[in-house]
Amino acid sequence: MSKNGYLQIHDPLKPKGYAVGIDLGTTNSLVASVIQGKPRCLAADEGESNLLPSVVHYGKDGGVVVGARAKTLAAEHPTDTIVSVKRFMGRSPEDAETRKLGAYKFASGGKVVRFEVSGGQPVTPIEVSGEILRALKRRAESHFSGRVEQAVITVPAYFDDAQRQATKDAGRLAGLEVLRLLNEPTAAALAYGLDKGSQGTYAVYDLGGGTFDVSILKLVDGIFEVKSTGGDSALGGDDFDRAIAQRVLEAMGQSSPTPSLVAEVLAASRKAKEALTDAPEVELTVGSHRQALKRSDFEEWIRPFVQKTGVVCRRALKDAGVTASELDGVILVGGATRVPAVRRFVAEQFGREPLSDIDPDQVVALGAAVQADLLTNVDRQDEVLLLDVIPLSLGLETMGGLVEKLIQRNSTIPTAAAQIFTTFKDGQTGLDVHVLQGERELVEDCRSLARFTLSGIPPMPAGMARVEVRFQVDADGILAVTAKEQSTGTTQSITVKPSHGLTDEEIETMLLDSIDHAEDDVQVRQLREQRVEAERVLTEASRQLGEHGELLAEGERAPIEAAMAKVREVAQGNDHHALKEAIHALDEQCKPFVERVMNQALTKVVAGHSVEEF
Amino acid sequence: MKCWNCEKDTQGRPFCPDCGKIAARPPGASHFDVFGLPRTYDVDVAALERQYRELSLKLHPDRFAQADARERRLSLEQTTALNEASKTLKDPTKRAFYLLKLHGVDLEREDAGAQKDMPLEFLEEVMELREALDEAMEAKDVERARKMATDVETRRKAALQEAVDTLRTLEKGPPVESSVKKASHALGRVRYFTRFLEQVETFEEEMLS
Repeated sequence: MSKNGYLQIHDPLKPKGYAVGIDLGTTNSLVASVIQGKPRCLAADEGESNLLPSVVHYGKDGGVVVGARAKTLAAEHPTDTIVSVKRFMGRSPEDAETRKLGAYKFASGGKVVRFEVSGGQPVTPIEVSGEILRALKRRAESHFSGRVEQAVITVPAYFDDAQRQATKDAGRLAGLEVLRLLNEPTAAALAYGLDKGSQGTYAVYDLGGGTFDVSILKLVDGIFEVKSTGGDSALGGDDFDRAIAQRVLEAMGQSSPTPSLVAEVLAASRKAKEALTDAPEVELTVGSHRQALKRSDFEEWIRPFVQKTGVVCRRALKDAGVTASELDGVILVGGATRVPAVRRFVAEQFGREPLSDIDPDQVVALGAAVQADLLTNVDRQDEVLLLDVIPLSLGLETMGGLVEKLIQRNSTIPTAAAQIFTTFKDGQTGLDVHVLQGERELVEDCRSLARFTLSGIPPMPAGMARVEVRFQVDADGILAVTAKEQSTGTTQSITVKPSHGLTDEEIETMLLDSIDHAEDDVQVRQLREQRVEAERVLTEASRQLGEHGELLAEGERAPIEAAMAKVREVAQGNDHHALKEAIHALDEQCKPFVERVMNQALTKVVAGHSVEEF
Repeated sequence: MKCWNCEKDTQGRPFCPDCGKIAARPPGASHFDVFGLPRTYDVDVAALERQYRELSLKLHPDRFAQADARERRLSLEQTTALNEASKTLKDPTKRAFYLLKLHGVDLEREDAGAQKDMPLEFLEEVMELREALDEAMEAKDVERARKMATDVETRRKAALQEAVDTLRTLEKGPPVESSVKKASHALGRVRYFTRFLEQVETFEEEMLS
């Protein structure tokens, strides 16, 4: 549908304000900026912590609270308070990670996780992350007393395409132009490298709240070249909390605890974990339940998780073609690396004491601020460059449910690859294309990114039609798939966006939905936004009906027109919820039709060429 | 190639020599052209890596974050090509395959005729290796598989050396069809042995985890 002004942020004539680096973490988030040549994390107020807890609370009145205050509401309102939302980014409701111990209510159906909250419509992880980013943007704007429109946002190196796309969408939702998605270990190395002017080969071991990454980097002449990366985007300090919480719930005899109790036990477990860093034994309290916890027991419980990181480290070293003894240093990143057992393990794995001179909570944000500065400050352009890699291989489904890899993991980005498809039956007019990400051989073991059909190939003998499917991975590690008619060299092409994320239109709708609910005139504002949206959707629907009316199936036009009439009617009133629902209903009604319009656009790529041309 | 900005000839360079703007990639440029190198097997890898870093510093999309859409696109295209060229030319095996491709035989393509055209003795060798590995895998015998891998690695190296020697003779004179065929048979073997080694590796990883 439309590509209107809400997404159009880049305007070369407009001054852009300040650029910041953002660490959008599982547990805490930070915003940093280079000030007078040095990266600094920004606090809400002088003397306060610069960590913003990544917690968003949705109030019954529709208001949104982010950060420390939201965190205090978690125990009392467990389902309306989203903690560790990063774990859900780009994931479907069926993912194993989604189903781990937690207090949320999920809305049923759909490809994307949605949290049921009492204040209004279910919210997606992208929207929740958007709230965190918006809070950080406001913090930076009040610090500078000026606009902040550009940001480098960090992601775990091991994030797949869906998770990256979701993060980028959250940035746009918060009104930020995402200059670059930067891998967290690379950001950390940047923060270290600039401080010390180091040369050599380094390993970055990054264990955060919900994700684990390891990267091997080589620093030469100001270039940070990532040699390999590995990780697990569903492994982190949260797993340590859950390991404690499960034992506590058992000890309490609670086999089916309420969401409230789960949230409370998880919070107490986290506290205990943190206390065990300095004390060999602590007491955990939940209501009247008291339980002594020994560090040695805790270490035993988390051993499987820690061991898992070792396998990943060994593979990363192997992929980089270096041995542990050839490294010049090991850098620790992420709050979970404060756990003494983790530090010991890293020292054993790499045969040396790791570096942690820069606060492991801040180092990623500081590196992101440096990168934001490098990208926006012309004077600094010749100093430093990051060359990153794609963490997981990309491929296509082939015969028998197997995956053929087109781009290997750890390829330096940007990178591209192409595959020629030919028809295998006489007169075949369609080709199914299924794009996958992962290392396994079977389709079912990999992440499905996009699936589409190239239809409208002119009928001809088997093997005659040649369609090139091209993968292009950009510097953010995000994939675009292009299909191109081959033999004539026609440049006509289409880009297919991965199917799991949100469409531009959905983002626009959310943008409109969510523009600062914190304001007092939220009702008036939302009504106004919904009216703008109604106008847009109606214009778009009329246009599609006019231009592609022939694609309507019998009996489809009347319900669409009825839904349009309903939107017009409700737009006269003052109920923005009702208007939103009416718009949604219209959207739903149009869906099959719009899909057909999209399919036709795809078809045009290969259609309209005579047999001779192929 | 005409520069999109000043319309002067870009002379196949990454930047227009006249106005200094980033240029479009000349169509049909080879990986060797990206680095201004002759099409020979012998490449100074250390020099190539230095040149790669220098070009990256100038061409990378990070250098064009604030530029207009066209320059950003050209930067993406050139850096993509640069990364591909560097990856191919740095690796002795990939470089050999690429040179063979420049001689008209693309073994990477699944439907490549050259693959179906391997000598009978080799096909027999493949069958034997295949059966032996299947037996080892069925018996979950990592030691035996590893020993086979060591042996196959030696054969792989020999086949690569044969291919490289042949490619070098091709550099000296006009193309000789029998030499191209010899190189493509040798690399066909390399390709098979490499796959075999990958299989052993996957098997080892599975057994370890």
